[in-house]
Amino acid sequence: MKKNTIFTISAIVVLFLFLLYASHNFSAYNIRILNNVAIFLILAASYNLINGVTGQFSLEPNGFAAIGAYTAAILTLTPAQKSAMFIITPMVPWLQSVHMAFLPALIVAGLVTAFVGFILGFPVFRVRGDYLAIVTLGFGLTIRVVSNNTISITNGALGLKGIGNYTTLWWSWGWAVLAMIVIMRLINSEYGRAMKAVRDDEDAAIAMGINTFRVKMTAFVTSAFFEGVAGGLLAHLITTISPTLFTFFFTFNLLIIIVIGGLGSMTGTAIATVLVIWGSELLRFVEQPMHIFSLTIPGIPGMRMVIFAILLIIIMIFARDGLMGQKEFSWDSFFKFFKKNKKLAK
Amino acid sequence: MNITIILQQLVNGLSLGSLYGLIAIGYTMVYGVIRLINFAHGDIMMVGTYFALFAATTFLLPWWAAFIVAIALAALLGVFIDKVAYKPLRNASRISSLITAIGVSFLLENLFLVLFGGVPRAFKIPQVFSGVVHLNGVIIPIIALITPIVAIVCLLLLMQILQHTKYGIAMRALSLDMETTRIMGANVDAIIAFVFAIGSALAAIGGIFWALRYPSINPLMGIMPGLKAFAAAVLGGIGSVPGAALGGFIIGITEILVVAFLPSLAGYKDAFAFLLLIFVLLFKPTGIMGEDLEKGRF
Amino acid sequence: MKTVLNCNKITMQFGGLKAVNEFSLEVTEHKIFGLIGPNGAGKTTLFNMITGNLQPTEGVIYFYDKPIVGLKPYKIVSLGMARTFQNIRLFANLSVLENVLTGFHHKLRYGIFDTLLRTPRFVKNEKIMVEMAFDLLESVNLQDKANAKASELSYGDRRKVEIARALATGPKMLLLDEPAAGMNPQETLSLMYFIEEIREKFDLTILLIEHDMKFVMNLCDHIAVLDHGVKIAEGKPEEVQKNPDVIRAYLGDINA
Repeated sequence: MKKNTIFTISAIVVLFLFLLYASHNFSAYNIRILNNVAIFLILAASYNLINGVTGQFSLEPNGFAAIGAYTAAILTLTPAQKSAMFIITPMVPWLQSVHMAFLPALIVAGLVTAFVGFILGFPVFRVRGDYLAIVTLGFGLTIRVVSNNTISITNGALGLKGIGNYTTLWWSWGWAVLAMIVIMRLINSEYGRAMKAVRDDEDAAIAMGINTFRVKMTAFVTSAFFEGVAGGLLAHLITTISPTLFTFFFTFNLLIIIVIGGLGSMTGTAIATVLVIWGSELLRFVEQPMHIFSLTIPGIPGMRMVIFAILLIIIMIFARDGLMGQKEFSWDSFFKFFKKNKKLAK
Repeated sequence: MNITIILQQLVNGLSLGSLYGLIAIGYTMVYGVIRLINFAHGDIMMVGTYFALFAATTFLLPWWAAFIVAIALAALLGVFIDKVAYKPLRNASRISSLITAIGVSFLLENLFLVLFGGVPRAFKIPQVFSGVVHLNGVIIPIIALITPIVAIVCLLLLMQILQHTKYGIAMRALSLDMETTRIMGANVDAIIAFVFAIGSALAAIGGIFWALRYPSINPLMGIMPGLKAFAAAVLGGIGSVPGAALGGFIIGITEILVVAFLPSLAGYKDAFAFLLLIFVLLFKPTGIMGEDLEKGRF
Repeated sequence: MKTVLNCNKITMQFGGLKAVNEFSLEVTEHKIFGLIGPNGAGKTTLFNMITGNLQPTEGVIYFYDKPIVGLKPYKIVSLGMARTFQNIRLFANLSVLENVLTGFHHKLRYGIFDTLLRTPRFVKNEKIMVEMAFDLLESVNLQDKANAKASELSYGDRRKVEIARALATGPKMLLLDEPAAGMNPQETLSLMYFIEEIREKFDLTILLIEHDMKFVMNLCDHIAVLDHGVKIAEGKPEEVQKNPDVIRAYLGDINA
């Protein structure tokens, strides 16, 4: 086995030892944040695969996570729960009776979302990728219209309640590690090189004999799969889902993450996910009333989003590379960095 | 189903369609010259409507003055957004300006939510625009008649500008080849600013007439019309101004007819433009009147 | 001598303008073929039709006797035709090595599952591809810069990487769009030798567009002249040079 593989495996072992510690000693609130980090890591890494690595701007995560969440939840809810919940219109019979364990439900959620991704990508990638953003934005808006109206499947605006809280740290981080490995391996292969080639110059990529339609589709469908799974994990973390949960703000959060981390860098994505999830917990103060001495400044709801939007624009204009640019962490450069520092210390 | 109702719905659809068309023109012109999907365009329509509301209620301007002020301010806002947010990224990768555009859109929506709240506000309809006309038993709101006329007048004016003025000709040259146009001595930045001004002014007109039709306005009102207008621009052929207007009419009329005659699908009316967009991309990606803008790219 | 590329009366019409009009050309194996003509004569349009980026409005194109009109550009590459661009188009954020590696994409010997599981097949083929890429870089003398970012290279080196990248696709025929553009006389001269060299080494047929007359006249075995979308002359360099139609196209009608 190569040295670097051993390092990677040990790092993963350390991560899970930390999770073991956390699961016994952390408060429920902090465990929830840890779960959120894992789920957003899956989402952001997948999102960066299509946006940063392949260079196809898209706005799909809220729509795709919604599909994953609904699919997984419908599959794990028991028939009895469903018949009790669907009070306006009964559920369609074949969905009513279906019932699955958590893991297969997540996989089906991923596959269903991947299929939707294929259907959406097909018309867009046949032309150039330009319209992907607007098609996926439209899809995100449409999915709400559809989930509000297909009451016999989604229970409409009432949403789904009482979903089992199966998403433990093991599930969320297990999937996060798997997603990272899959995405990194994809990037560090001829497929990944082709994706970056498409990003850098699509015409030149075609002239290299690259089937750019297939390359873009591979990236998009892979993203969709993991976004679906992440949606499923999210549903089983918060246990109640409704169409209003998956608004554009959901996608916008992820966009901020990948832009801060660096479009195209998974290392940057991982760092930025922690920063943004943690940071937006901290930023909650701007929406709450503030007391400075005897002055009381009323909280401004929605201010966080304004700050996020301004932040995004500023980063794009002045610091387009984000934290990492397109660079990735590697053990070699990690040790080189420490050696250099040692030398400097001497 | 009698002819009266059909006629009534047709006029209604024509009126809605002309609003989509007005908004779509801005999308198509901006995309034509700088290949940018200006996500903030629908929000400029919203901002323009708010301008009109404040000009009329806070500053107590007569309605026509309020409208003119709002349209002018929206045009300025469009130019300002381009200057501040898009121009620094002209030579960056396409994805950078797209991300910035979505950022601007999100900023406008949330800034207005913070400033004015999410509760819809009533838009005061001037006397001239209320009321109905009876035409052989067909009852038509005056506004449904005026809207298409305004849209067509705007379109004709714009076509004149594009075909006969220096700016219009330079703009068409720019959409074919930015570098060459620059070399030929045209002030590319001024032309782009001009495009944003015109597009944003038309969006504001669209917004104002939208508010006269649905007189309750909120900071998120631009999203759906914006999306449908973009679908209209693609349907008409992106880059083509008359195409955008045509696309708007088609989408507006179909939407009204679907809702009128298939009421069971009414809940899905907002999904309809999206489906249409997908179909256009599948079967006629260059749209009805569009040319392949990427033809000369080598 | 075997015909590699055969354009039979191809026409490209943009609206009312015929950019290329009933153009015919036969390129024979192992030759260096030059395509010249004043600006706007339709040379690049012709290139784009041959590579499949544009569909001719009329006419047929055969590549080794196989009709290629209507094939997707990337398919045509896999048949053995590679191209470079007028304004060098490397993948700016990829390393020189990675740029060349993309050329192997269309004959990739491992699948998604090999990639995800890192099977022996994946490891073996990645290794082979890297070795092959290094061989190509060696033949353009850039093996030392394999890990540099493409955007960091000098202009001349970028042109060489672009050609190495095109060679990685395993072409039988190479299309060069103004390879000497932007080069000084010294660089142009070395490019000339270089093109000669790769023709021998990779057994290539070459079709190139060029403005530098000296370059074309010295390098090409055969030349076709295009003016206003029409072929006005064809032959050996010395024949073309003397052709009165060609002189008129370049210098304008002296008698007029």
